[in-house]
Amino acid sequence: MSKEVSEEGRHGKDYVDPPPAPLLDMAELKLWSFYRAIIAEFIATLLFLYVTVATVIGHKNQTGPCGGVGLLGIAWAFGGMIFVLVYCTAGISGGHINPAVTFGLFLARKVSLPRAVAYMVAQCLGAICGVGLVKAFMMTPYKRLGGGANTVADGYSTGTALGAEIIGTFVLVYTVFSATDPKRSARDSHVPVLAPLPIGFAVFMVHLATIPITGTGINPARSFGAAVIYNNEKAWDDHWIFWVGPFVGALAAAAYHQYILRAAAIKALASFRSNPTN
Amino acid sequence: MAKDVEGPDGFQTRDYEDPPPTPFFDAEELTKWSLYRAVIAEFVATLLFLYVTVLTVIGYKIQSDTKAGGVDCGGVGILGIAWAFGGMIFILVYCTAGISGGHINPAVTFGLFLARKVSLIRAVLYMVAQCLGAICGVGFVKAFQSSHYVNYGGGANFLADGYNTGTGLAAEIIGTFVLVYTVFSATDPKRNARDSHVPVLAPLPIGFAVFMVHLATIPITGTGINPARSFGAAVIFNKSKPWDDHWIFWVGPFIGATIAAFYHQFVLRASGSKSLGSFRSAANV
Repeated sequence: MSKEVSEEGRHGKDYVDPPPAPLLDMAELKLWSFYRAIIAEFIATLLFLYVTVATVIGHKNQTGPCGGVGLLGIAWAFGGMIFVLVYCTAGISGGHINPAVTFGLFLARKVSLPRAVAYMVAQCLGAICGVGLVKAFMMTPYKRLGGGANTVADGYSTGTALGAEIIGTFVLVYTVFSATDPKRSARDSHVPVLAPLPIGFAVFMVHLATIPITGTGINPARSFGAAVIYNNEKAWDDHWIFWVGPFVGALAAAAYHQYILRAAAIKALASFRSNPTN
Repeated sequence: MAKDVEGPDGFQTRDYEDPPPTPFFDAEELTKWSLYRAVIAEFVATLLFLYVTVLTVIGYKIQSDTKAGGVDCGGVGILGIAWAFGGMIFILVYCTAGISGGHINPAVTFGLFLARKVSLIRAVLYMVAQCLGAICGVGFVKAFQSSHYVNYGGGANFLADGYNTGTGLAAEIIGTFVLVYTVFSATDPKRNARDSHVPVLAPLPIGFAVFMVHLATIPITGTGINPARSFGAAVIFNKSKPWDDHWIFWVGPFIGATIAAFYHQFVLRASGSKSLGSFRSAANV
């Protein structure tokens, strides 16, 4: 648990929850760090989609059933790239690379509305460019082999796919919340312990479980980028699942973390305490 | 080794202290939200663990079934299944370590209870929450793909053909010993002192222990080493074969946890002989 520091007989925790981010923060629009963060999200999502979709197309383009990297390799590509990119951009933009993560953090008042919207737009544009690169590099197999787009697989219903996307995104966003929690940082004596690794593993795990069902979205930008470039009717018909599911999952994770694990509502009633740092 | 610090009066003092044994019955903790939050966290973590892992198992079996549209080398492979189990334990222990201790496994809870690190009340509540979470997690998988779930074995643990009961039991005992021993090592205050009290992503070796044991034991029993995992799948799949073998997946893990607790506490930490050290004048030795 958190380490308590005794000051003149009163116990204070050695962490402070940051105040809620203002809903509209016009001051940050004037700072270069805001635009740097948006550029970082764009580049990160571009690289993410390029590597992962290229891996998918490369696997499907194999000469025999055992010739490619396999679904395990595809899952590693998604999880591993998230680990690498979150590691690189955590200090610049928070390393979201996923509109669902941005949405969850927005609900938890950790990012402002302009920043959240700007991040989501940058992520979607980066995804389009990333998949565009893959198509430019391997045009014929890209079209022939499904374009890396997310669709509901044969044998699965729409409800199942939606449920899988909701729970999958819950796992991811819940891990993000745990990794960025100031209380956990205090528990780790404020020493960094490679927080991006469990986030990458969460993506890897959900891909192992969900690739047979939907090809695994859990990232609306990823699904959107592939749908735009592939531009196939089936991909667009199912596309709503890959926005509704992740956003519902992110909402559930935000509520679970903030209200059950951190008991934020109960703390709001603690204003009668004389020590404001409690 | 432990760093010895010269204390007052010339006595050596260590820079760590073993926490005192947890009381068997701690009625006060029943009045705190942190206990119920921990129980909820264990429930949700076990639910997610079973959902992802059993879904991975069923997905693999569907995609590698060459008689039903699958292909050779389809699916994530048995290696992928082992990764799913080990990786999920890693991230869930990481997320819940600060809330409930991140057990997600009745055998781990039992081992820590034997080592007096959790109270009886907490241990029982954790185990119940873990079993209920496991049932719900597998229930989700069945709800999502009922016919596939039933046709492909429901992710249940049972003895594979060609292995006898004794082999299955021994595999579960040794596998759980590896896991619980790793948990004890990862949470040992002496090891923490050796790491200069700097956190080092302790959940990672715990996840890898699960991964390793799955690599070894999947061919024998599908790998239980987690009674809640076996129980959840047995309840939802509800066939006679998993139930016939089910006792192996409680007796084995609990014996393995007992051996690990004994080994760590009495051999590695020598706490038995330390209790005889009361003749020493320095309390910290």
